[in-house]
Amino acid sequence: MSDSTYLLEVKNLCRHFTSGRGKNKLVVKAVDNVSFGVKPAETFGLVGESGCGKTTLGRTIIRLYDPTSGQVFFNGREISGKMTGELRRYLTENIAMIFQDPIESLNPRMTVEEIIGEGLKVRGVKDKAEIRRRVVEMLKKVGLNEEHATRYPHEFSGGQRQRIGIARALIVQPKMIIADEPVSALDVSIQAQVINLLNDLKEEFGLTILFIAHNLSVVKYFSDRIGVMYYGRLVEVARGEDLYAKPLHPYTRALLSAIPEPNPLTARNKKRLDYDPERDHDYSREKPEMVEIEPEHFVYCSPSEAARYREICRSAVKAGD
Amino acid sequence: MIVDRNNLPEDIRDLPESCFEIVGSEDISDEPFKTEAIGFFKDAIYRLRKNKLSVIAFWLITAVIISAIIVPHLTGYSPTAQNLAYRNLPPKIPGLEKLGIADGTRILTNRPKASLSEFPEGSIIQIVREYKASNVDMVDVKVDYYKFVGVPEGEYHWMGTDYLGRDLCTRLFLGARISLLIAFFAVVANIIIGVVYGACAGYYGGRVDMILTHFAEILDGLPYLVVTILFMLLFGSGMFSIVLALTVTGWIGTARLVRAQFYRFKGREYVLAARTLGVRDRALIFRHILPNAIGPVITRAMISIPGAIFSESFLAYIGLGIKPPNPSIGVLLSDGQRVLLQYPYQTVFPAVLISVLMVSFNLFANGLRDALDPTQRGEI
Amino acid sequence: MAERDKRDVILQVKDLNVSFRTYGGIVRAVRGVTFDLRRGETVAIVGESGSGKSVTIKAIMGILPSNATIESGEILYGGMDLTKLTEEEFHNIRGKRIGLIFQDPLSALNPIMKVGNQIMEALILSQKMSKKAARQRALELMEAVGIPDVERRFNQYPFQFSGGMRQRIVIAIALAGDPEILICDEPTTALDVTVQARILELINKIKEERHLSVIFITHDLGVVATMADRVNVMYAGKIVETGTSEEVFFEPAHPYTWALLSSMPDLETKERLFSIPGTPPNMISPPPGDAFSVRNRYALRIDFEKEPPLFKITDTHYAATWLLHPKAPRVEMPEALKTRIERMRRRAVGNE
Repeated sequence: MSDSTYLLEVKNLCRHFTSGRGKNKLVVKAVDNVSFGVKPAETFGLVGESGCGKTTLGRTIIRLYDPTSGQVFFNGREISGKMTGELRRYLTENIAMIFQDPIESLNPRMTVEEIIGEGLKVRGVKDKAEIRRRVVEMLKKVGLNEEHATRYPHEFSGGQRQRIGIARALIVQPKMIIADEPVSALDVSIQAQVINLLNDLKEEFGLTILFIAHNLSVVKYFSDRIGVMYYGRLVEVARGEDLYAKPLHPYTRALLSAIPEPNPLTARNKKRLDYDPERDHDYSREKPEMVEIEPEHFVYCSPSEAARYREICRSAVKAGD
Repeated sequence: MIVDRNNLPEDIRDLPESCFEIVGSEDISDEPFKTEAIGFFKDAIYRLRKNKLSVIAFWLITAVIISAIIVPHLTGYSPTAQNLAYRNLPPKIPGLEKLGIADGTRILTNRPKASLSEFPEGSIIQIVREYKASNVDMVDVKVDYYKFVGVPEGEYHWMGTDYLGRDLCTRLFLGARISLLIAFFAVVANIIIGVVYGACAGYYGGRVDMILTHFAEILDGLPYLVVTILFMLLFGSGMFSIVLALTVTGWIGTARLVRAQFYRFKGREYVLAARTLGVRDRALIFRHILPNAIGPVITRAMISIPGAIFSESFLAYIGLGIKPPNPSIGVLLSDGQRVLLQYPYQTVFPAVLISVLMVSFNLFANGLRDALDPTQRGEI
Repeated sequence: MAERDKRDVILQVKDLNVSFRTYGGIVRAVRGVTFDLRRGETVAIVGESGSGKSVTIKAIMGILPSNATIESGEILYGGMDLTKLTEEEFHNIRGKRIGLIFQDPLSALNPIMKVGNQIMEALILSQKMSKKAARQRALELMEAVGIPDVERRFNQYPFQFSGGMRQRIVIAIALAGDPEILICDEPTTALDVTVQARILELINKIKEERHLSVIFITHDLGVVATMADRVNVMYAGKIVETGTSEEVFFEPAHPYTWALLSSMPDLETKERLFSIPGTPPNMISPPPGDAFSVRNRYALRIDFEKEPPLFKITDTHYAATWLLHPKAPRVEMPEALKTRIERMRRRAVGNE
């Protein structure tokens, strides 16, 4: 059924959006046949550009969207089936989500205590003092204090608001967090605060994290393994070092070459690679699929491409010697 | 200011050593708040109070409401008791009468001069014009009309009386009370139905939305007057039928607005966040979406109150109003315009009151909209 | 050397102060900004949101919102003080001699007008061209900014373009007046990395071809390194450090610059990030002394009392921090930053 080495396992997951009817019917394959697994206490980074389906993938896993087809397993249990009250409870007890926009993601009409305490209320904690105690405890963990509990979101800065969002996700003590671009809307100086905080909490709670972002440097810094998405598909999955040392899929290479380096001596002479699926792949005769080129390094490619990639890896090892 | 390190100006060079001690620390926490916690509605009220026109409008509305409650009891006249002898008395207000306005006088025209002797004693104030018509001496004469018809000294009708001798002031404020009540009930009913209907359509979307929207469209297509007349036939002409008539299609606008608001807010990240926490539909609708979506609904309610008063007046005007002898502003206007040329005050007072109400409610609603959603300032 | 520099200065901002009237009080957004732009160079202004970088360039372009006032200062360009121009006079400068590229290309374009016509309109307005000539020139411009299949694209509407292509149209419109200065306000923030790389290349290319001087506003240090000859770091409405790219990236002197440089991970970062604690100050009542002092772990006592002057480090490098005072204790930049700079230098050598 499912591989027990993974805490979260996604198998052939599809999420299509349709609009229109009959002749005008339009299908957008936001997530198209995606498979990967996240091990316990691991951080799995998901990178891709806007519109590549990474947000949809995260939301489909936590069932904000229903999957079109495919399966998702958590701890061996399928969580992609028919939604029941019991499954909803199981999901909310185990997986929580951190959102991108620190302004958008907090209800402006609720106090911080109400926002953070809501998860407890849903779980049937009725004692007000108990909720208060745990909210304050959580606030302290994210670097805020008791006095902040009675405040409304608009009084906080972006970084503080994001920390409130983190507190809301963690107070229910989930095993796994899906963090959807948690720092990209923040100022540079604040991003480091939030990344450090997430890192500390990850250690403290032993969290498994699915980290979704478009900034490759941040993903590389934060994740153990990384998946690269392109137009609804996962094109490459590898350990962070491997992905950056020997990117194989041409899209990954293009993405890596496009990062502006904060180094005035090298930034300008950097060679940028382009990716054009029409030009870079010939899938007319062979169909592509996910292939494990090296241990834990998967690439979406055709058999002939796979052979070429293996060759590249072998020569890289030789060059390393 | 730019300084060279090797050639510092004196005041900078001679700063004492103690200034250059490191006092920053690794442990810097967030600054505590200096101000009081401000909730959204508190903030909105603060903004509303800064808008002077809205504050004036608010007090005008309050004044009209209070008057509508107490004035009919203070005048000492019954709003329905007829006294044909005291028909169409002009306004007379104690205090003002000495200034020559609202002094209960009227100019009677085309009177034979001979008839002056039959006038009650002391009622003639001044002969305005003398002329001959068909060899008869005629006069226009200004009289104290209250004495002329024999109203006892000390009896005042601040806004005069109507064609059946009823005190207009009493009737006007009682009418305002009834009009406001009709408007209030109609608007409350519209809001409740509209919010629930629109929330269902907007939150669930898809097929539910399609069916609900189409139903509302069909209802919206019904001719409003026909429906109203139907209700009058069924339930008789009274407050209940008028409120019903105003509600039958009135809620559709609110429902559309609420539906659009729900579409706007249900995809917000905080709603998604609540969903991932397992919050149930009802709490999502009433705790997370509605409080954020309610601003324009409140504004709309405020704006539709004068609309409802106006609709009621319109119905009264075409004879579908409240059952006589009870007044409403519309009934008074309708009565007044029949004698507009002879006794203009009978139209002016209700017209002024309805205008004040309409303008005040609109101004107040505008201020409320700005206060509830400061980004929409000046837009509709 | 100094003589030549002065002649080459094309735009000069002197002690600019801008404030906003708001509900909460007077916001002092820009507090004494001074910098100059020389012919053919790119000057970057780096800072976080609210640092006053956008307000500064809005003041240069004469497009400050109505609740803003220029309290004092001068913006000298072509013998004029731009702060004293009337709206009428600004029409001859804006779009013609100074072009502007916005952050959000979608809102900079009219959604119901064909893109070709939008470029033509800019040409007709600024160059008084005939319709026919303008059409020809618009097609050339579209080609110059790298839009393929120009004849067909000319008659399309903005929504039919991708984000990157839209930004190219905006650049074409900015170039229509044949300006000598190009101001870019976060032109790639809304774009994906691969698209961003292409747009940055394009801006660098047209800058070379047309000998433009560029003011580049951004918060992304990677972008700064790619674009800028000189860098101004802004914090709380002030320039806290200014220098050439190499100086600011390799020998930063201000603690805020240190924090900025080491707060973002690069591809090789493994150590804990050096984060800046606290939040940016409220500009309605900026703290006395150095505005950064409350968040600065190397803050000196005087930082809380007296504003630091800009200390000269080299002819081109200045920083406003009391740490540069001869009496100040020697404070080294954080270890993490040192190793990172070392690594960057090595990489540069390795690449050559």
